[in-house]
Order: sequence, then structure tokens, then C-alpha cells
Amino acid sequence: MLLVRDSMVREVLTVSPETTAAEALTLCREKRIRHLPVLEGGRMVGLISDRDLRASTPALGDANRAAALDKIRVGDEMAREISTADPDDPIEQAAMAMHERKIGCLPVVEGEDLVGILTTSDVMAALVRLVGAHEPGSRLEIAFPDRPGSLADVAGIVRDQGVNIVSVLSAPGEYDGGSGSVAVIRLATINPTGVVRSLEGAGFPVLWPPSTPGGPGQGL
Amino acid sequence: MSGRSVFVHDPGLEAYGFGGEHPFNPLRVRMAIELCEGLGLMEGYSFLAPKPATDDDLMTVHSLSYIRSVQKAGHDEAPLSELLQYCIGTQDNPVFSKMHEACALVVGGTIEACRLVMGGEAEHALCVSGGLHHALRSKASGFCVYNDAGAAIARLKEEHPGIRIAYVDTDAHHGDGVQWMFYDDPDVLTFSMHESGRYLFPGTGGVEEKGRNGGVGYSLNVPLQPFTQDASFIECFEETLPEALRRFGPDLILSQNGCDAHALDPLTHLSTTTRVYEHVPRRIHELAHELCGGRWVAVGGGGYDIWRVVPRAWAALWATVSHQELPETMPGAWLAKWGRQSPVALPDLTRDIAANYPPIGRAAQVEERNRKTIAEFKRKVLPLLA
Ligand SMILES: [Zn+2]
Ligand SMILES: [Zn+2]
Repeated sequence: MLLVRDSMVREVLTVSPETTAAEALTLCREKRIRHLPVLEGGRMVGLISDRDLRASTPALGDANRAAALDKIRVGDEMAREISTADPDDPIEQAAMAMHERKIGCLPVVEGEDLVGILTTSDVMAALVRLVGAHEPGSRLEIAFPDRPGSLADVAGIVRDQGVNIVSVLSAPGEYDGGSGSVAVIRLATINPTGVVRSLEGAGFPVLWPPSTPGGPGQGL
Repeated sequence: MSGRSVFVHDPGLEAYGFGGEHPFNPLRVRMAIELCEGLGLMEGYSFLAPKPATDDDLMTVHSLSYIRSVQKAGHDEAPLSELLQYCIGTQDNPVFSKMHEACALVVGGTIEACRLVMGGEAEHALCVSGGLHHALRSKASGFCVYNDAGAAIARLKEEHPGIRIAYVDTDAHHGDGVQWMFYDDPDVLTFSMHESGRYLFPGTGGVEEKGRNGGVGYSLNVPLQPFTQDASFIECFEETLPEALRRFGPDLILSQNGCDAHALDPLTHLSTTTRVYEHVPRRIHELAHELCGGRWVAVGGGGYDIWRVVPRAWAALWATVSHQELPETMPGAWLAKWGRQSPVALPDLTRDIAANYPPIGRAAQVEERNRKTIAEFKRKVLPLLA
């Protein structure tokens, strides 16, 4: 469920190196997309973004703009070194690649074939599913030590309260100078008070909800 | 004093509860009713008993398979595994005996209140047992099995083609069930003001949830920061609701008056007082007279400090619904009776004393963040309402 193939868009609009900047920009505007893979003989040879095209043409209002847009070819401006993803890559690996290389999109390639495209908004949609934000639930932030079994202890306490877990995320080294982790747990209950009490009783600090307005970890 | 007000209630409604230590304790309704009586607010009024909702009523918003499972659950005729698919038999929504019958009567109460007002037999009507706003089409959620407001709205739409209904929800939790039931319906305006879903159940209710398809602009959400106090709550309410209702032009207002935004409520982090629980009904009442000939139906909702908050909040609500002054002091006999059972000291005034709820340390930041939310609401959502 959390692979690139589950989140990518399969209908990919493409252009050829011979497409003019004017045509490519029109396509971006009409289809409300920012990136176009460039195909030549069925093989992907580059990637062009609306930003690249704008940067290489005279600004809006410039008398030479229209002529330049018709003259410039996609092949002149496209990026040739492209990061791609495999449909079976985990979504977090694709997200990390996009984040580290500061890119907004990854063409998805299987063998020689372009089979899809993954953009930041597709990754965001996957994140929403991942955290279970579409299911009714209460959100708790819990600190726990980085050692084997401690997350299992947290889960056991939740189980003993008879409450179902919608989702769990945990971020290592986010608590107490790096010696502890923070877990974000969505619980399928309107009433997490019993869980909160048991967790605190067992020595797991609950960062949210705080018992008072000045309580710890209160990021609003 | 203008038209007639009706209090829809029957002791059978007090069978809606989950028993044991469950926070949704039907004593809350009993105490509210007895407080209305003790304060003299029922003199000249009697309770009007509703009929249970029929399967057809329920099927306006629920699936038949869900209804059948609730029916079987209450008579011990369904395995837990089947019920859990519908989130029945969980910690939040445990099975209780004859649960279908109790839940159907709640729906019947809200339907009855709406029919009385729309039919002209009453100007305003109240059913404090209603307001089960989390119930979904095929799923119990957050102590709510059937969605009484949803079914009542759906029935009104059938009986009065073309009717425009405004649903106004000031429970501390997002009114998700009702919102999703009418998410693409431009004839039903849902307005919910609640604690931000970033941490609180059910997690939804952001400003950007504004309806779908033909219903874009007709789902309104004002999420408040945790620890919001009276002044900021009232400011947000005044800055959003009157304008939205005036633009929409309802034929009837149905308000959900959950009182779990109170500072003493154990399940939420909003920090209001009874001031909010007088202000909100008073303004909805004024708006109903200004916009729709006074047609206003009020229901209850959440509220889990059942001793100190719920009875006083809903007595204040009935006082407004019935055009009566709320007396200042709590009746001695009521205090004596319930004081014996209450684990906490009961207040002897009907209104909270402001000095007991001083501004929290971060009040200015909370207020500032809420203002940003209002600005976003006015910029992105309100203009969509023609
Ligand atoms: Zn009136
Ligand atoms: Zn609530």
C-alpha cells in the first residue's frame, strides 16, 4: 500500500524534444501540471518543468516573448540527468530522494518504460493515508526510550485499555536530547483519558495532550 | 413573549447510555431536566413524548445492514466480530441492551422537534437527548449510534421540497457525521465550531473542508486552538456565524448544543464557561427570528462534566428556547438530591463566576491564532456562499 506504484499517477502527459516552449507551457497550464517527461522513440530522454521554460524565455510583456516561445524547443532546455523511481520503491525512499535533491517530481520507470509520475502532492496524499488522518481518532504524542520492546510496551498498554490503534508513526531521537523517541499514535476513540493515565503511570511521558495549558511539548 | 416553545422529552430517552463508568451517562439528561423543573422553567410547559424513528426514517442516512446489526446487538443476537465492523462493541460504543430501541427514540425526538417547528405547531423546540453528531452511515462513532440530526434534516427535505436548513454545531468536537452526510448538498449548510482536530477526536474539521461538488461553500468549519476561553470563542462565533447564516438564508436552524467546550470538561481542551452557553443560544435565537420566522430546533450533544456543567448549560438553553429569564441561584432541593451522589462539589449559582476562570498564561497567543483562522475562513470559505 505504501509503494510508489500505489501513489503514482499512471496517465502521464509527455512531450518530444521538438515540442516548442509555447506548446509545452500551454499543456502545463491547461492540464494544471508542472512537469513533463520528454520522450524520443518511446524512450525517456529528459524532463522539462514549466519553471525551466519560463526561466529561459523573455518575461511576460516583453515584445520578443511570443517569437521566442515559438522558437525554443523543449530539447534545448530539458534536464537530461533525471532522478527516477521504480514502481516497487517504498514511498518513503522516493520522498527522501525528492526532499534531498530538492525536486518536485520523479518519473517512474520500469525497465525502459515510463509507467507513471510521482509528484510532491502524490507523496502528501500518501502521508495523509499513512497517518490515518481520514479515520476518526484522537492523536497522542508519547515519548519512549530508544530500546527494544519499548514501543511494544506502549502498544500493550493501549491494548489493555481495549482501544484500537488507527496508525503509529515514530521519530527516533526526537526527545530528551536524542536519548528518546517520540511516537505519534492515532487512537480510534473519542476518550483517550484511560490510555493517557496508564501510559503516564507506566513512565511514558505523554507530550500531548498536556494536562494544563502550560504543559510540556505544547506546540498548539 | 412570542410563539410557543416545546420541550420534547420522554423518560425512555434516558435509556440511551452505555452503562458502567462510560462517560456518556444518561444521568446528565435526568439532572438537566430536573434542574429545569427546579428552577421553575417548566411551569406552564409539559414534556412532549416522541415516537421512535422507523426503519425508513433511519434509512435516510444509515444503511439497512448497519441498522439490522444494531437491532441484533441490543438483543444479543450478533457475534462481536460482526458488530466490530460497524464499530459497535468497542470501548467508545459498547453494546447495551435494547440499544436500537433507545437510539431510534433519540432520532424520533429530533425528528419530532423539527416537525413541530416546521409544521408551525411550535416556534422553537428542544430535545436535549439529540445531537449525536458523530454517527456515520454504517458506523457508530464517538458515543453516537444513529445520527438524529442527519435523519431529521433528511426527513425535512423530503417533507418540504426546496427547504434550506442550517445546522449549527458548537460542540467541542467537529460535527463530522452531519457534515459528511450533506457534504455535497447546497440546501444544507453545516457550520461547526470546535477544538482543532490536530489532536482532538475526530481529527477533521479544518477550514479547508468546505463541501464538494454542488455543495462547495456549504460546509463551514471554524477550528479553535486548545485552551480557547470565552472572549475568543465568542469573538470567533460572532465573526463567522451571523454573516454565514445571512448569506445562506435558512428556512430553519437546527443547533447542536454540546457543552463539552467548558473548562471543566474531561475530554476536551477548550476552556469556556457558562457565559458561552448563554451567548450561543441567545444569538442563534435572535438569528432565527431575523432570518427564518423564528424556526429553531435545538438539540443537546456532548458534555462530560455531567455534574457541574451539563445541567446548567442545558437549563440555560431551555430558558432561551422558552423566552424565560434564567434564575441566578441553583434550587436547594436539586443541590441536596444530586449533591449526595456527585463526586465533586456542585456550584450553587447557575452562572460561572468569571474570577474563577482567569486568563490562561498563553491567552494572547491562543487569541492570535484563532484570529488567523477567522481571517482564513473569511478569505477562503465565506465568499463561496453566494
Ligand atoms: Zn423566540
Ligand atoms: Zn463533543
